[in-house]
Amino acid sequence: MPLSELLATYGGMYVTALLTTWSLTAVSFLGVMVLGLLVTVLRVCPVKPLRVVGDLYVQIFRNIPGISLLVFVVYALPNLNVVWDYRTCVIVTVVLVGSAFGSENLMSGINTIGVGQIEAARSLGLTFTQILRQIVVPQAVRSAILPMTNLLIAVMLTTALASQTPMKPPELTGLVSYINTRTVGGITPFVASALAYAGTAFVIGFVGNRIDKKVRIIR
Amino acid sequence: MSAPVDVMSMRDALYEEPGPHTLRRIRIFTGVSLVLVAALVGLVIHRFCVTGQLDPKYWSFFLKGTTWAFLGRGFLGTIGVAVTAGVLALLLGMVFMFGRISTHRPLAMVSRVVIDFFRGIPSLLLIYFFFLVLPQYGVKMTSFWMICLPVTLTASGVIAEVLRAGVNAVPKGQWEAAYSLGMRRTRILLKIVLPQAMRIVIPSLISQLVVVVKDTTLGYVVSYPDMLQNARVLITNYDALVSVYFVIAIIYILVNYAINELSVRLARQSGTRVIGRTNENPV
Repeated sequence: MPLSELLATYGGMYVTALLTTWSLTAVSFLGVMVLGLLVTVLRVCPVKPLRVVGDLYVQIFRNIPGISLLVFVVYALPNLNVVWDYRTCVIVTVVLVGSAFGSENLMSGINTIGVGQIEAARSLGLTFTQILRQIVVPQAVRSAILPMTNLLIAVMLTTALASQTPMKPPELTGLVSYINTRTVGGITPFVASALAYAGTAFVIGFVGNRIDKKVRIIR
Repeated sequence: MSAPVDVMSMRDALYEEPGPHTLRRIRIFTGVSLVLVAALVGLVIHRFCVTGQLDPKYWSFFLKGTTWAFLGRGFLGTIGVAVTAGVLALLLGMVFMFGRISTHRPLAMVSRVVIDFFRGIPSLLLIYFFFLVLPQYGVKMTSFWMICLPVTLTASGVIAEVLRAGVNAVPKGQWEAAYSLGMRRTRILLKIVLPQAMRIVIPSLISQLVVVVKDTTLGYVVSYPDMLQNARVLITNYDALVSVYFVIAIIYILVNYAINELSVRLARQSGTRVIGRTNENPV
């Protein structure tokens, strides 16, 4: 199928698909950050059972294949009387998986700071809240910029799982299978979607690198 | 998990040695949180109970040998794809990496675009390319290759970057010393730098295997009989969706956990860092 024909027939759907992918990514990433932060707080808190829960959460969701989690959320949860629409199911899946990785990023951000700094801060008489607010969080956030940029791209790629549900309207990956199961679409629909993904990833990566260069702490 | 050795110490270093007052509060919180966690687990089990999912008919077939033999065959299918794709991705990633660090400008540019392209698109999209698009051009392949090649391509982009990070981590002095001995660039790369780089990236490469294993689960799209696909057959046979997915998910988690642990251990032993994309790609 030539490009002009593709655009005439499916142009509108492509715009919708791109916007769907973007909105899924944005909403999921917001959820990833919030839940990732929450899990990280659990993992560093002094209460042992909560730490274990946080660690367990990360190990479970970073190791589970996205598709089997999605299938569980979509098809198994209704058996347990939990019913969501497809969009919510996809977002929940992406957030669960992504937040495990997000928490790992935050943890390694915290770990780069080094015990010595905390000891130094404490011997200067800083309280726990001061240590967190003035020493730990600023440094952890700065060194987490680049990993979080990559996570944002990864979250976008993970939203392709939505193509495995009958979600309407389809996102970029779902649209390729939608077109190709209806007509002989040829390579053009694939290239269009691939470029949309790769282009978005490129822009995210570019902006992330810029911010990182500005705020990075050179050790 | 860049510095797993420090995880505990940094966690603990955040707090002062608790005094008797704080200690009591921590104990109370520990008790409360234990109760909460138990309540949560209880709630989930209760949910399973009231919806009848704990009924023996949903679980009893896991006691049969045939069930496990069938799942085992699927597991072998998974391993087949994962190992093939892993090896191919390593070779291809190596090629891309050589292109990327080449002094030949156009070649470096092209390699960079190719690497970024494969890192920037979801493996599902590539699977559809091999499954729906290529057949339209008369390219026929078995379901094994239809899952293997997309997984290989997406992994090779990431692996190329991991390898490059490894090459960059070899000290500059190694290059300079080899140049001053009169060695050529290619020879230095192959004989001096790459062997050291490989040692640095082995843990990272192993952790990339997790991504590959996860991607193989998309094999059901092309109806390749991997473990997830066989699980679907079990589900239709026994009409037991929740229990089968529950068990399958645990198997995948354990396998990937083992791979991750191996990579972290190796990294700790050799004193290197696990390099990945975020550290790895979800999906």
